[in-house]
Amino acid sequence: MFIKQAEQLKLEKQHGQVDSGHQGVIRPGRVFLVRWSRYNPYYLEPEPRKEVYHIPETELTPEQKEERELKSVRPIKAATNSVTSSVFNDPVLSKFVNMMMKDGDKIIAKGIITQTLENMKRKQVEKYHKAPEGKKAEIECNPYAIFHQALENCKPVIGLASIQKGGKFYQVPIPLTDNRRRFLAMKWMITECRDNKHRRTLMYEKLSQELLAAFSKEGNVVKRKHELHKMAESNRAYAHYRWW
Amino acid sequence: MAMQGGTALQEKVSRMLSRKQKKPVLKPNKPLVLKDEVANRKIKKGEATCVTEMSMMMACWKQNNFVDTLCSNEMQSFYKCVEKAQIAVKDKSEQQTIGQSGRLQPKQATTLLKRYPNLHIEV
Repeated sequence: MFIKQAEQLKLEKQHGQVDSGHQGVIRPGRVFLVRWSRYNPYYLEPEPRKEVYHIPETELTPEQKEERELKSVRPIKAATNSVTSSVFNDPVLSKFVNMMMKDGDKIIAKGIITQTLENMKRKQVEKYHKAPEGKKAEIECNPYAIFHQALENCKPVIGLASIQKGGKFYQVPIPLTDNRRRFLAMKWMITECRDNKHRRTLMYEKLSQELLAAFSKEGNVVKRKHELHKMAESNRAYAHYRWW
Repeated sequence: MAMQGGTALQEKVSRMLSRKQKKPVLKPNKPLVLKDEVANRKIKKGEATCVTEMSMMMACWKQNNFVDTLCSNEMQSFYKCVEKAQIAVKDKSEQQTIGQSGRLQPKQATTLLKRYPNLHIEV
């Protein structure tokens, strides 16, 4: 941790042009602490997608025109390393990789995901070639599509919250936000693949099995989602304990 | 006018603290000083939103043994209801921060009090 902070300080010393959250004069060559600094709220988010910039001037809606004018005046935050403008940039997949990462080792996590996708593709292509002519069109071979559909199938619809009423805690069914649902689906997938596997199976192998099972709505993760739904259904009498 | 009111209150407090007449009514363990802030509280307690949609969806699940594809209509209506409820909450909180109806919002009162705090150090 201290080594990284020293490196950060060194970088800032070389560049010397960072607008950190501090109020003050930026002098080139001066060392600033940037580890815990925040962007000023008037900084805007960067737009990495290329399609947005290819729209010709005439086809812009009034809101988009306003946005463009605002962007020409306000400063913009630096894009993070994980965000690219390439066609292969997938925010959901990046989030999954980050959740799978341990100790900041993104290379291993990304490698596992790549192997998983390749493995899924191989299995699906094998099934495709073995299938009779009529069934060939139904088999999905695109591993990204399989990943997204599997994750959709794992997302719970309602969650449970522990609410205290009259001294006792009740499990109350509550609606979940989209981010929370996506997080739960990914978390369940990763924990399931880490815990319930044979000692000799590698992570990518188990992940590809689970994702293909979730794609066809079988498997342990979908079962866990159904169990949550059943719990919520059995506790539907407590739904009025919510106050939001 | 405020000073008169102030002295009357202080006389009453000193009477409540005194041991001359009878047992003291007040036995404070901390000095009787007001804080520089007001508590944040909502008087009205809200109620659960989207309960009907949720119960319809759950009834559908019970019928179809928790298969999601057959209950897609109810699920869509539930999601819409949840979105509407979230927007309503945001609008309501926005409207509350703008309109006061004759009373200061707790946050505004706290800001004002912090500008003129109690002096606890004699400088």
